[in-house]
Parts: sequence; C-alpha cells; structure tokens
Amino acid sequence: MSGPTFFGVRHLSPAAAYHLRKALDRARPELVLVEGPSDLNSQMEWLCHPDTQFPAAILAYTKTPPVRTVLWPFAVYSPEIQAILWAHEHGVECRFMDLPSSVFLALREAEEMSVGRDDPGAPYSNDNPDAPHSNNTPGASSEDGEEAGGTAVRVVPPYTEDLPQTTESVYERLEKITGEDHDTFWERDLEQAEDYQAASDVFGRELREASADDARRAAETTVREAYMKRQIQEAIDGGISPEKIFCVCGAFHVAGLEENAPLTDQELASLPTAGSAATLMPYSYYRLSSRSGYGAGNKAPAYFELLWEALNGGGLDQAPYLYLTRLAASHRNAGNLVSSAEVIEAVRLAGALAKMRGSRYPVLADLRDAAVTTMGHGQFSELALAAADTEIGTQIGSLPEGVSRTSVQEDFYRQLKELRLEKFRTAQLQRLDLDLREKLNVKSEAAAFADLRRSFFLHRLRVLKIQFAALLPSRQSGSNWGEYWDLRWTPEAEIQIVESALMGDTIQGAAAFALKERADSSSTIAEAAAIFQDAFLCGMPAAAQHALSVLQGLSVDAAALADVAETAQRLSLVVRYGDLRRFDPAPVVPLVEQLYLRACLTLEDACICDAQAAPAVTKAMDQLNALQLSLDFLAEDRWLDLLAEISDRDDLNTRCSGFAMAILLERGRADEALLAREVARRLSPGIPADLGAGWFEGLAAKNRRALIARLSLWRHLDDYLSSLDDEAFRRALVFLRRAFADFSPSEKNDIAEDLGEIWGVDPRQAAEALMNETTGAEQAVLESLSDFDFDDI
Amino acid sequence: MSDKNVQRLPAEELFQREIDALIAADHDPIPTGWRMSPRSVLTYIEGGTAVKGVEITPKYMGSRRLVEIAISTLVTDRALLLIGEPGTAKSWLSEHLAAAVNGDSTKVVQGTAGTTEEQIRYSWNYAMLIAKGPCPEAMVKSPVYRAMESGSIARIEEISRCASEVQDALISILSEKRLSVPELGLEVPAQKGFSVIATANTRDKGVNDMSAALKRRFNIVVLPTPSDMATEMDIVRTRVEQLSAGLDLNASQPKEDTVEKVVTIFRELRKGATLDGKQKLKPTSGVLSTAEAISLLANSMALAGSFGTGAIAAEDLAAALQGAVVKDEEKDKLAWKEYLENVMKKRGSEWLPLYRACRELNGT
Repeated sequence: MSGPTFFGVRHLSPAAAYHLRKALDRARPELVLVEGPSDLNSQMEWLCHPDTQFPAAILAYTKTPPVRTVLWPFAVYSPEIQAILWAHEHGVECRFMDLPSSVFLALREAEEMSVGRDDPGAPYSNDNPDAPHSNNTPGASSEDGEEAGGTAVRVVPPYTEDLPQTTESVYERLEKITGEDHDTFWERDLEQAEDYQAASDVFGRELREASADDARRAAETTVREAYMKRQIQEAIDGGISPEKIFCVCGAFHVAGLEENAPLTDQELASLPTAGSAATLMPYSYYRLSSRSGYGAGNKAPAYFELLWEALNGGGLDQAPYLYLTRLAASHRNAGNLVSSAEVIEAVRLAGALAKMRGSRYPVLADLRDAAVTTMGHGQFSELALAAADTEIGTQIGSLPEGVSRTSVQEDFYRQLKELRLEKFRTAQLQRLDLDLREKLNVKSEAAAFADLRRSFFLHRLRVLKIQFAALLPSRQSGSNWGEYWDLRWTPEAEIQIVESALMGDTIQGAAAFALKERADSSSTIAEAAAIFQDAFLCGMPAAAQHALSVLQGLSVDAAALADVAETAQRLSLVVRYGDLRRFDPAPVVPLVEQLYLRACLTLEDACICDAQAAPAVTKAMDQLNALQLSLDFLAEDRWLDLLAEISDRDDLNTRCSGFAMAILLERGRADEALLAREVARRLSPGIPADLGAGWFEGLAAKNRRALIARLSLWRHLDDYLSSLDDEAFRRALVFLRRAFADFSPSEKNDIAEDLGEIWGVDPRQAAEALMNETTGAEQAVLESLSDFDFDDI
Repeated sequence: MSDKNVQRLPAEELFQREIDALIAADHDPIPTGWRMSPRSVLTYIEGGTAVKGVEITPKYMGSRRLVEIAISTLVTDRALLLIGEPGTAKSWLSEHLAAAVNGDSTKVVQGTAGTTEEQIRYSWNYAMLIAKGPCPEAMVKSPVYRAMESGSIARIEEISRCASEVQDALISILSEKRLSVPELGLEVPAQKGFSVIATANTRDKGVNDMSAALKRRFNIVVLPTPSDMATEMDIVRTRVEQLSAGLDLNASQPKEDTVEKVVTIFRELRKGATLDGKQKLKPTSGVLSTAEAISLLANSMALAGSFGTGAIAAEDLAAALQGAVVKDEEKDKLAWKEYLENVMKKRGSEWLPLYRACRELNGT
C-alpha cells in the first residue's frame, strides 16, 4: 500500500532523531507532518533560526485568568525538531498536525472542572510537586505526554514515568520481567536497536494493546488521532500524493493513525477552544530531566545529547568514552583525583556489564555503575556531583533577538541587558551584592545609580512573584545600603514572566498593577504598610502614594497598638533611608506623626492587660521608643512623660510598668534614687509573687549590664524572695525563670557574683568549691532535685 | 572426598550439585580460566530457576546489580575489593564467587596484624633450603602464588588489617601480574583468569588504611546492610537453617516470630531509633550485624538443644541477646536497659516473656 509514511518515535530520543533523518533522506517527502499544535506553525520559523539554541519550548497560555499553560519542550535531539530542521534545510513544507493549543487548553480546563485535579488518570491533572503554581507548569501539562494530550508536549507520551494507573502497571510489569527500570530498558532495546523503526513500531503497538483499558484516555487519544488523520487527509485532498507525506508521531499513535477515521466537520466544530496565545521560551536541561519532578522519561538530557553527538560522530560505541571522560573531567574539576587508568577500567567494566545484560553497548546505568566502582570507590555519593553535571547538565536554551515574545518578556530581557544582569541568566545559582549608595566616581547618572536600578528591577520581579531572584537577609544589621540577592534562571521563572503579561506590558507596569490590586484588597494598616514598603523598594512613587492613601484611610479605623507601632516603624524606615533610594519622604511624615500620636494615646490603656498580652505591648513600646529616638520631629517629652506615668502606676500590668522603667533607665531619665525607690516599692514583702516577679521580668528585658552593675537592685530582689513563703516562691519562680532565660552565661555569672557578694561569699573561694569533685552526699542532693516537679506551679 | 565430620565444608563442596548442574547447562561463552559463564555465576549467587531440575538456592540476597558489578570486574581481570560493615556477607560473597568461578574457594590469605609479605608471595621450607639451597622444591608457595600459576582467584580476607608493607606487596602483583623469585631467577607470569578478591571492613578504617596506589588497583563494591526488614529476615532464616543443619543442634528451627524479634531488636539498635522512627535509642558499641543475628539464633538453638526443651525459649534468646548487645559493660548495659524499659516493655504481651528474661539477665 502506498499511504503516508508513519514514523513512530519516542519524543526525546536521540536514536529516533537520528534514524528519522535517515528515513527522511530516503523517503524524500513533499510534506512533513509533525505531532505538535497545529495552530502554532508560525513558531517553526524561529525554531529553525540559526541563533536558536535548544532546549527551547513552545508555551501556549490562556489569555484570561486563571492562566493555564501547556508546554511543548524540545531538545536538539528531539525527533520533532530534527524533522522540522530537515524540512527547513531541504525546502520541504512542514506542519504540525496535532490538536491546536487552544483546544488543549480548553480540554484541560474542562478536565479540571469535571474530574477534580487529583484523579491520577486525568490527563493534565498530574501536578508537578516542584511547580510553583500548579496551574501553569509544564509538569501539569506535560502529563499529556503520555496519554493523551500533547504527546508532543511532554516528552514521551506513552513512555513517561508518572503515568496514570493503567500504564503504570504496564511499566511495572515490564520492570518485573526485565529487572531494570524502563528507561534502561528503553535505552538497551530501542536506543541501541539496529532497526529502530521496527523496534519502536512493535513497542508502540504492544504498549497500546497493554494499556487500552482506560476509557477516558482512550477517548482523548482517539480524538487526537482522528484530528491528525484529518490533517493528513486534508493534505492529500490538497493535492499531495499520500506516499509523499511523512508523519512523525509518538510510536503509541502509529496504530491509531493507521486505523482511525478522520474527524468529521461536525466533530471538529464541537471541540472546545479557549482564547490563547503562544510564545517561545528558553528551556533548561534541568527542567527536562525528571529530577525536577518532570517525570517524562528523560532523566539525563545531557547524556542523551551526548548520545546524539555520538550517533552523528562515530557511532554509539563512542558514547562510553565520551561519557566517562566527561564524568572524569567534571570530577577532577571538583578537585578530585581521577587517573586515566581508572577511566580505562571503567570503560572495560561497563562493557562487561553490558555484555552480562546482553546489550550491544553499555547503557547509562552500566556506565554509571562502572564509574562508581572504579572512580567512586564504590560510593555513588562521591560522584554524585559529577554525575549530575554529566547526565543532566546545566544547559539552558536561548532565543534569537526578535523572536515572537510577549511584551513583558521583551521588557525583561531588555532590562536584563541594560542592567548588565545577563550573565546571571544561568541555571546555576549566583550571588549578586548590591551597593545602593550613589557612586561618586562615575560620569553618568545612570552609572552612579546602577545598583539602585538593579535593586528596583529585582524588587519588581519579587512583587510579581517571578522566581528569578531571591532576597537574602542583610548580613550586617543596620546597613541599609547593602542588598544581597541569589539569582537563578529557571523555565518556571520564564513562565511566571509570561503570566504577568496579563497585568501589564512591562515589568514596571505589571508590578504597579499587582501592587495596586494588593493595596485595594488590604484590610489592615499593617498590610497596607507592607505594600507601601514594597512600592518604596521597587522605586515606584505612584504606587507608594496609592498604598499610602489606602493606609491613611485604614488608619482612621481603630487598630491594635501592635499594628500601629509596626506600621509606624515600617514607615519610619522610609523617612530615614528614603534618600538612599531617591524617594521623597515628605508625604510620609505626617502619617508617621499621626500614628505615633495615636500610639501614645492608646499605650497606657493597652498596658491594662494579662500576662499573655504583655509581650506584645512591650514589643510595641520598644518599637515606639526606637521610632522616637530616630525621628526627631516626634515629641520627646510626650513620650517620656508617658513612660514615667506607666512606670509609676500600680494598676497596670506590672511587666509593662517594669519595661517602661527599663526604657527610662536606658535613656537616663531615672536616677539611682528613683530606681532604688521603685525596686523597694515593687519588691516589698507582701506584694504577690506574680506581680513582683512580673515587674522584674519587664525591667530585666533591657539594658542588663546597667542592672547587673546596681548591687542594690539584687539586694532588694534577694530580700523580696526571702520574704516569700514556699507557695508564693514557687509562683515567682515561673516569672524569674522566664526573666533570666535569655541572659547569656556570662551575664548569669555576673549576677551570681553579685549575689555572692550580698551573701558574703568570696568569689575565689566559691570558684574553688565549685571546681572540687562533688561528694556522694552532694550528688544525692542534686539527684533529688531532678525529681522536682514543676507541673503544679 | 566430602567427609561428613568436617566442621565446615567449602562452598564448592557444599553446593557441588548446583555448580555441576550450572556447568552442564551453560551455553554462554566461558572466559579463560573460568568453569562457567558469568551469567551462570550470577545465577549461582542470586539463585533462581531450576537448571536441569536442580534448584539453585540464593547465596547472596542483596542487590543483584552489585553482584553483576562484582562478576563483571572479575571478567575484566580486575581485582575486586568488597567493602562493608562487619557481617554484610563480604567473605561469604567472596567465597561463593571463587567457588563458582574456579570451583575452588580455598586459596585464602587471612589478613591479620601478623600477616607477613611471605604469606602473599612465597616462603621457604628452611630445612630443605639449608640442605639443597634455593630450589623450586624448597619453595612454599602462597595462595596468591598458586592462583597466579593456575589462573584462578585468590582471596584475601580483611586486607585492611594487614600492615602496609604487606599491602604494598600486592601492588606489584596486581599491576605487573608477575611475581619474581630472585633466588631462583624466576619470573612467574599470572595465567589468564588470575584475579584477587579482597574484603575490608569499614569499622577497621584507619587501622591500616589502604594506600591510594593499592585502592586504585581494585574495583570497589560496597556491600550495604540489608535494606529492609523482610530481606534481613529472609537472610537470617535461610542461613540459620543452613548453619544448624551442619551442627546437629538437637533443636527445632526458630519460629518466625522469634526471628522477627531478633531482627527487629538488631535493626532498631543499629539504627538508633525504633522501626517506626518515633523514638530515639542509645546506640550500642557492638555492630549488631546480620551475621551476628544469625549466630545469635544458632547460639540460642544450641542452648535450647543442650539444656532446654529443644525449642528456643525466651530465656535462651535472652542469654544470647545479652551476649550480643552488651559488649562494653556499662555503656551497653545502660543502653540495653533503656531499650528494654522504653521499647520492649511497651510492645505488649507477645514480647513480655522475652522482656522479663532479658531484664533478669541484665541485672535490673
């Protein structure tokens, strides 16, 4: 029969790509049809562009939220790519023939609604655990690969690993029979097959038979195959003779394409579609490998590329040499010793292992085991780094200038270039240290604030939740001019950029939109203050202004003291360091004043609280104190008077009073006499233990050295404690333990010395006594202490 | 030839029937100096389908891949070094590999602190040396020497216990594959098929660390402790059966739950946590290997057979456990006591007799 040629492939298979080119050379078709989204033929031009570097992917996404995406990743050894390139080189027409991306997206939406996302059998429903958003990751879309969806998309449809249940059992059975995982099986039996096409054909058919029992999958597969068949039919109707048509599709689909009838007009019209757009994006080998949760049967992209090189070079028998020498080189680079003799032995051992399994050449598992045995001293862990390097690799793709992209992507790449951040667009994590201060020794203003502009850019990405850069905690407290970032490009980041296209045409526009949305939906002043701070860090005054007006609106309503203090604190940072980011703090000042005033007015009432709420109040007091100290336009007198009042009153929470005393002490507003009087008053016999000890806890929370230096304080404390009866002492213990819990050992030591002095113990004698061995009797006393039961106090 | 009174028969005699059957059924190419093809060696070690009606019992129950690597190493003329914790069947595997490949697992050098270079190379029968001077008859050949001559496998046990000059003597043999006898002006070339299987203990690391030069001449396979409970129980059960069959212990085989208890206790103490991972345990100084679990059970069978009812009772097991767990007096005793009180006591009635017996013995 002289129908179209069907060439069944595995989607990321070097052998398939190689033999496919050979088959194309022989067949000399007039039309090449490739499994892929038939509405995205225009992307082929860019895929064939000489500056395009693989891996790259076609990304289709819905134009309305929630954004759904579907992804067709390609490596240089993808048979589809080689078919497209071949057609391009030979001037032959080439088209995608699978369901349009708009249908895939619509189908996925429908699936989600009808099935629920966790049904493992549902196409597209497999969430990728690593994926930041389940909706839009290739992991989710890729699922299709196997079953139905875009085979093309994913990598190999039928052969993916995270298949739904039915196929899983097929692979499990296969693994049981061969005793090897199916990647290894595939490599041994198909990558190395002498007649690839026949082997792949048989495999595809068998697989189809073995996994024919899932109704839904079967239905989707049928639709896709019928659609492809229709494309073929249309081509024939268009005047191309059938034998001049060459179809590249998953081996799984060959039988279906031969048997099924084409889709009718009516059926075609009934397919759902979703409004969608598409773009090309660079991809990474890391993402391609199942190590990052991709699960598509291509665990070792760099190794597969090496196979592809070997096939086009001298033949597959070269692959062991390539792999092992690269592995050795990588291992050496990491500072380890690898002799050539060990590499030679590894090659021999890999050969022997392959022979035991009866394959022609060693497969990856053989090579790696051989390397571990000879170079790794039997431990894979020694070679893990080099193996990851050699098998997965850090390669990421790149696309030529002008490739069809969303405007946000273009803006992103333009800014990367402008800000000289391009060298950070790699798969490895890189550190970037920024100094935001103006550089005085450069000519242009742009250069003087280069780091600041980078900071704005990175903060905008952060606001858009694009995981390209992660802000690290400042290494030096109080240095507001330094910023430290970790940068790493991943395909996810690219997808997130595309997603943000819905919010604006530029990074800045999208960030402004995102901030505005957040500001409008915020309900507390703390939230609004956080948004304001983000806008400030992004260098977007308009957005900051908007957040501020929201904040002002919210601050009219009653807010908790802690929120007010926190907000004032955040805003004060802007006032203090605004000029570093060239931000005019003028509009913020009145608001800070207003918040400060309000906090002062509510603080006293807030101090009427129970022990549980007290820490929050003291924290707010601390923040307000810092605020007042750093901003001189806030009235000092009001603050100190307030503190004196709180310290003096007996009806407030004693811990708050103690803390107010501590602040006064720190600011030099309480003299020795006042402290002595207060201590005597607060710790006089008869005061309940929880009040006395609670006050002390508040007092001890600050400037401890000053307390330790005041012997009289400890004498009072000692007297007070001695005056308590057993029951009251037990209750006081709780507070005292807490108060002393975060004293450092040396501070505790000093307190012990103070007490020693009060009790008339000479420190030197004490030290000597402590250094002596404990006697049996003492030991017994100490042991009895460990039975002390704290439960009832 | 196989004498019933021999305490322990070498592997090739114990499993002669299996080896013969495998040889008879072999149709894959056989490397020079070998008695069967590498695949048959694999079948012999891993057990499997009956060959000509003879069931091949599994000898090593760990990862099949490791055995494949070990055999492939020997095929490529490389020396093989098996490393692992004590009791992970290193010597066992080495013996069976040699038995399958050569039908002779007896060319062994036991590495000790007292092993000398002569035991690796050759020494002299001094009476004859004095009477006749240096001559081939006066020479006492080492197992390695004999293996080189016959193109077979020599085994070196516990190589890391040997002094470094002894280890160094191996280097020239492994790289040159020749042994020179200057006294006789002889150069003995190794025949095809010669190789060395050495074993080393990870616990002995640092005693006489192997030089990089020597390590480089070995392919190293690390044998892991059994990965899961079921595997370890399998190993223990099978080995106890084999072991006790040769010992006439007058006791019945340990029951399933006895094996399970011993393996559970060993695995938990080894790991320093209970099987469910919920409770941390103090580690003991002993290794508590699978091999020890095996001898422990055989030990309790002996106790039960000689002094008890013939079935392993809680007391027999407790005595054996005490001996295996408590090595370094105080510390171990404490750890064992904690284990008894915190874990075993709370395991319910099934464990109660054992708990009582153990507690009594541990003197608590």
